[in-house]
Amino acid sequence: MSGEAAGGREAAGNRALGLLRQSGVAVRGALSRRDGRATAAVAGLGYLLVYLVGLGHLGVGPSGLELSVVADPLTRALQLRGPFQWEPVALAVVGPVELLVSPLNIALGTLLGLLVGLNLAVSLVAYRGPAACKLGPGAGAAAGLPGILSGFACCGPTILIVLGLQASATVLTLFQWLLPLTVLALVGTLLWVGRKVEA
Amino acid sequence: MQRTRRAWLGALGAAGAAALAGCGGVVDGLTGGGTPSGPGPPASEGDLYVGHELDVLNENITDGGVPKDGIPSVDEPEFQPADAASLADGDVVFGVERGGEAKAYPQYILVHHEIVNDTVGGDPVAVTYCPLTGTAQGFERGETTFGVSGRLVNSNLTMYDRDTDSWWPQVVATAIRGPRRGETLSEFRVVWTTWGEWRGAHPDTVVLTEETGYQRRYGSDPYGQYNPPRGYYTNDETLFEPLVSDDRVPPKRVVIGTRTDAGALAFDKQALLSERVLTGSIDGTDHVAVADATLSTGYVYANPDSVGVEPGDGGYRVGGEVHASDALPLERVLAFDGMWFAWAGFYPELPYVR
Repeated sequence: MSGEAAGGREAAGNRALGLLRQSGVAVRGALSRRDGRATAAVAGLGYLLVYLVGLGHLGVGPSGLELSVVADPLTRALQLRGPFQWEPVALAVVGPVELLVSPLNIALGTLLGLLVGLNLAVSLVAYRGPAACKLGPGAGAAAGLPGILSGFACCGPTILIVLGLQASATVLTLFQWLLPLTVLALVGTLLWVGRKVEA
Repeated sequence: MQRTRRAWLGALGAAGAAALAGCGGVVDGLTGGGTPSGPGPPASEGDLYVGHELDVLNENITDGGVPKDGIPSVDEPEFQPADAASLADGDVVFGVERGGEAKAYPQYILVHHEIVNDTVGGDPVAVTYCPLTGTAQGFERGETTFGVSGRLVNSNLTMYDRDTDSWWPQVVATAIRGPRRGETLSEFRVVWTTWGEWRGAHPDTVVLTEETGYQRRYGSDPYGQYNPPRGYYTNDETLFEPLVSDDRVPPKRVVIGTRTDAGALAFDKQALLSERVLTGSIDGTDHVAVADATLSTGYVYANPDSVGVEPGDGGYRVGGEVHASDALPLERVLAFDGMWFAWAGFYPELPYVR
């Protein structure tokens, strides 16, 4: 019995490793093509920008040229402002564009953007390839939507008004989980799409 | 809003040095249940009427979606002269006149901080603003400071004091949790007005600057804007369900409300500015509200003897003499602007006068 269980675990482990390997091959394959690289770059950067807009860290304001930094950037960078949101340490203004620099949020947005970009790139390559799977290229991007929504939870969930919802403990708890759910969803779709590519 | 840009690239060097020195840290915030580190803010001598049992308010504390001090108070405010400010005349400011000193706190800055721990006229005070209920109130703070708890009651900012970690919803000004539970803060009037009006009345005023110690996109209000009004401030949606809903008046309609030890009363602000004098009653005692056209606000007085108050040139006629709106020969009670749903939620079935 225990031998069978151990064998089962080993088989599951091998399957998981195989899935990762397949996805790795799919990602490398997608990035070896120009359209794959372009898709990943544009989608990744686009996602990062939308995420920062959602946080309220990127937007337009009075025109100017400025870079100002708080007095204690290292301490501030680690202070939580909300779920997965940290204190900005700098404000950069170029023309009408304002960017609040929160290093951890930029890192998080970059990670999410990377996952969205890779999802789209692999999906696109799979879609165009001979063994076209039934997955549309939009699936990876859709998986990233909760992450963008999570950004709007900052400073009072005003997005709820746009969505026509009234805040409640349940809704606010849900908002707190949007970002980790996004990461899981993006990794999940990437593995799924990768498997389709190998098929 | 005609804001100008700060230009301080030189701050970069100082920032690096400060970081290495390990200075900073906004708050030595208590986490609740800790040992009080001081007496906390001074209490008012009298109690205020609270429209609900404290337990009811305590049970209705809701998570506002941000952690304690996730909205950071301004603890080292900096001010500039009126001439240096780049506010538009129609921008909303919260004005305080105290001990011969006049200060203006722009709404577009306070929407990002909600509390300014300041000293005005030599007194340590906190000037507070809750965007969701449209209420600006001032409190004595003694040696302590107030912070934003991240919790709301009836959509209203719930402050905590950093000595005792007691929780004080702003509108009721009474602690509903912590060692100071049941005590009432000592308050003073904060005038909700516009920059043009405040500056006209107080040419020597100073204005809170954007040098708050934090980086924010101060031109961006997450809820909407007041000049011109739009977004949350004007629509009929509330973010959180009110403690009590009262559809006598649209939820965001602005009233000037007052609460005494006996009850609460709300005057429609627009009606007051138009009629100049309105009269209501708290528990059988007449109260009269008079408009101040200079600041587009109003003041409320207890009027137990129901003496006549008539609008006159340059003020109000009481007993044959004309007095300024803020200096009638009656006992003035604290009153402040707020959205109707907030007043109606905290003080169920309060009289509404228009």
